[in-house]
Amino acid sequence: MKLLFSLTGSQLEALALSAGERLIYCVPADLAYEVRRAGEMQTRGGLAAAESGSEGGVRERYEKDVFLAATNKRLVVLKGDQVTYQTELKDCEKIKCEHQVGCGIITVTDRNENDTCVARVSMRQIVRASYAVRGAQAIVRSLKENGDADHAEQITSSEYETYCEKCGRALPGTSTCPYCEGKMDIAKKFMSLCGGFVGKLLLISLSMLVISGMNMGLPMVQRWFIDNALSTGKGTWTDLGIFVGISFAFLIGAILLEVWKNLACIKLGSELSMSLREKLYRKIQVLSLSFINKRKPGELMNRVSRDTGRIREFFEEVFGYMFSTLLTMIVSLVVMLTISPVMTGLSLMFVIVVFTLMRIFWHHIHTIFHRQWMKSDELSNNIQDIISGMRIVKTFGTEDREAERFSKQARDYAKTQSRNETFWAVFFPILTFLLGCGTYVAVLIGGNNVLDGKMTMGQLVQFMTYSGYLFGPLGWMTHLPRMVMQMVTSLNRIYDVLDEEPKIKDRDGSKEIAIRGHFKFDKVSFGYNSYEPVLEDINFEVQPGEMIGLVGASGTGKSTMINLIMRLYDPDQGQIILDDVDLRDVKVECLHSQIGVVLQETFLFSGTILDNIRFAKPTATLAEVIQAAKAANAHDFICKTPDGYNTYVGEHGYNLSGGERQRIAIARAILNNPKLLILDEATSALDTESEFLIQQALNRLIQGRTTFAIAHRLSTLREANRLIVIDKHSIAEMGSHNELLEKKGIYYGLVTAQLKMAEGRPENVAANTSEQTAEDGENVAG
Amino acid sequence: MMSEEMDLLDLDINEEFDEEALKKESEELLEMRFLTKENATFARTEGGFVSLKFGEKEYKRVGVYLTFPLTNPEEYISIREADEKAKEIGMVEDLKQLPKDQQEMIREQIRLRYFMPVIKKIMEIKEEYGYAYWYVETSFGVCRFTTHMSGDVVVSLSDSRLLVKDIDGNRYEIPDFYALGIQEKKKLDLFI
Repeated sequence: MKLLFSLTGSQLEALALSAGERLIYCVPADLAYEVRRAGEMQTRGGLAAAESGSEGGVRERYEKDVFLAATNKRLVVLKGDQVTYQTELKDCEKIKCEHQVGCGIITVTDRNENDTCVARVSMRQIVRASYAVRGAQAIVRSLKENGDADHAEQITSSEYETYCEKCGRALPGTSTCPYCEGKMDIAKKFMSLCGGFVGKLLLISLSMLVISGMNMGLPMVQRWFIDNALSTGKGTWTDLGIFVGISFAFLIGAILLEVWKNLACIKLGSELSMSLREKLYRKIQVLSLSFINKRKPGELMNRVSRDTGRIREFFEEVFGYMFSTLLTMIVSLVVMLTISPVMTGLSLMFVIVVFTLMRIFWHHIHTIFHRQWMKSDELSNNIQDIISGMRIVKTFGTEDREAERFSKQARDYAKTQSRNETFWAVFFPILTFLLGCGTYVAVLIGGNNVLDGKMTMGQLVQFMTYSGYLFGPLGWMTHLPRMVMQMVTSLNRIYDVLDEEPKIKDRDGSKEIAIRGHFKFDKVSFGYNSYEPVLEDINFEVQPGEMIGLVGASGTGKSTMINLIMRLYDPDQGQIILDDVDLRDVKVECLHSQIGVVLQETFLFSGTILDNIRFAKPTATLAEVIQAAKAANAHDFICKTPDGYNTYVGEHGYNLSGGERQRIAIARAILNNPKLLILDEATSALDTESEFLIQQALNRLIQGRTTFAIAHRLSTLREANRLIVIDKHSIAEMGSHNELLEKKGIYYGLVTAQLKMAEGRPENVAANTSEQTAEDGENVAG
Repeated sequence: MMSEEMDLLDLDINEEFDEEALKKESEELLEMRFLTKENATFARTEGGFVSLKFGEKEYKRVGVYLTFPLTNPEEYISIREADEKAKEIGMVEDLKQLPKDQQEMIREQIRLRYFMPVIKKIMEIKEEYGYAYWYVETSFGVCRFTTHMSGDVVVSLSDSRLLVKDIDGNRYEIPDFYALGIQEKKKLDLFI
């Protein structure tokens, strides 16, 4: 996304850059923002409220020529070629882009903690403005820390624009516009896509030529036969035989070729879309999470299934006919013109009439069918809504109301549908009739010509046949541009993913290491969006075999830290060092094969329990699987399921509870015998008794392995060697349980809070096992 | 121990745990506190926001949040602290109960915070390859925007009141569908 718009000469002049000052960010602010301020009776700039078209003090207007500019020294707002606001960045405490409702405002906080609103943007510009403001804030920080702006981090945005700069069209989730820049590019990609199938393509094209030739040739033979055999009266049975024979041979030949060509096209389409699908799938697996997380899962799924499907459809339905049809049509037109320009003109006239009718009704047709489609969409949404919310509907006893609502919608849809179909049933025959009229007129005039002897009978028949060739596919041809464009868009969306370079990949010098488990975070900062930091300046060291507990309120960055350790993301700044090697220099696969992970959301793949436990180590023996399941306290419930370890789980499979899923996930992590263990709320969905049992298993498991564990239930972390408390994006406290308790800081507050909660609810305590209560006491007493 | 403790951790964890304080805080969360002209005074700030003096306390800048922005924009306005937590200070039950000048200030803040242009006239809606390109006149001036072609682009709030959402997430209001011209309604046909 573009963060430095170019200014005109007069705007640059107004900006009046001093020596050594340079423009770093410049983004449009598209809403008027001026509000009445303290001590002002009128809006700024002396504009009376009425004049500026506003009520109250806020001017409500789009702005076209307002820019928010940041240099290495100042923040400036330009309107046209006038500076309407500026401040020295060294006097600023903070610059923010605050999200409002449907818009954003840019505020500057000065050293006295006073906020000033300097610009306002609509949702169209808000992402860009957020990035630019983050850039300006980096300069503010650098000025504060280093006294100059040279060390400020340069903010860039990898997000795509929503509109094409050149043509103003919306971009379909691609980096380049498929209409402007993409075309040549896409043509090249299309060629490279077809590269492996050149032979087949050539063969198909050749068959298409032959088919067109046969189609074109038949009327010639017909004409010759009529003129030389039939109408002269000198024809013999032999002539008839030859003619029928030739026609028949042509027909059979053309049909056979056509069938072969269609089959070849379908095969080619499937092969192409399959190879694309495979490439896409592989690519999505390789791409870093940052790419995938920025897109909705449904969107990526669409690219894999629907867009590749479009390519297949194109080859099946369009490609095979496109060239031959075009060729046939052109040749037909030429031949028709040579036979009789007048008749050609007359029949074309009717075509024009039909097309005008089509155009006039096109909007209507499109509208009514689009509306039908939307109604059916609404209907199915409603069904889904009600079925998934069935329990709520039943508990509130509103079945009748919901049924009534649904039947009203269903009736509505049925009405629309029948109306549309009626319209179509009437409209389409009228069109066909009109097109036919052209033929009748042509026959009338042509017949007259034949009677007058100006034209032979054969010519007339030939003309009629060719006009059929010309008009038949016309309707289809009108859809051609749309179908080609759809294909291009799909291809563009596919290549957008295929061309994406994975951010996390092995470098040239990447090596495989056997992990011992020594970790060092060195000034690590990270944010999922570069304008929103989640972790800032994290420093700590972990010895091999240590268990580290990560503690803090929700949303402080605990899971993010784990994502960095697993190298699902790379830090924006600083480095993570594992056993004296920068994490970025360790082969990704090698790293991941030595990490065991149990995550907050336990995802099970569609398949059996056995498959799921074996996921990380497909070669594990059955004994190993059972051992792991026992360790995870999962063996007992698995035995109770009807199919045991062969029980099918996943989307349509056996229903497992949250705790059961979690235990399978733990078994999966244990089986791999990992050197590094990551437990992100690994036991949160379990009841106290199972947690205790698994805790025992985990305690055995973590011996000698570096372990990072996140838990809200602090008793889960009682085995941790050290605890790291994360607050406000950085490390607030670090130390052993006892050290932190003595410190009486955040951790102390957490522990006492949990203990009080337990005490304050005698019924809960009673419900717990006695062991658990004892543990808690132990825990606090430390 | 039960899962409630997770919620507990979201509270202010800097303070030593004090059951009394926590109880008080939860009481405060439940309490309906109203700002009236007797107990609260709003004033404009130099920076274009409003400040609040509420009883003993003074706030340099407060946030103005509408609780029913679409149906009752001048009632139950929640006045909140300006930081990230945005803790509620109190509610203004009915804006008209405040002094005239302060009403104006709050309205200015509402206009600053909420951006939803009203479509006055639809000049053109052009469909091309799965997107609809709108050219309209709004309360903010003429504007071009783009929407997808799916069914959730235009949402009806009531029989006649519509909301249009564009690809960037801007929302546009059509206050009365029936007040539009025939041609304009026809252009909207695709979505309703």
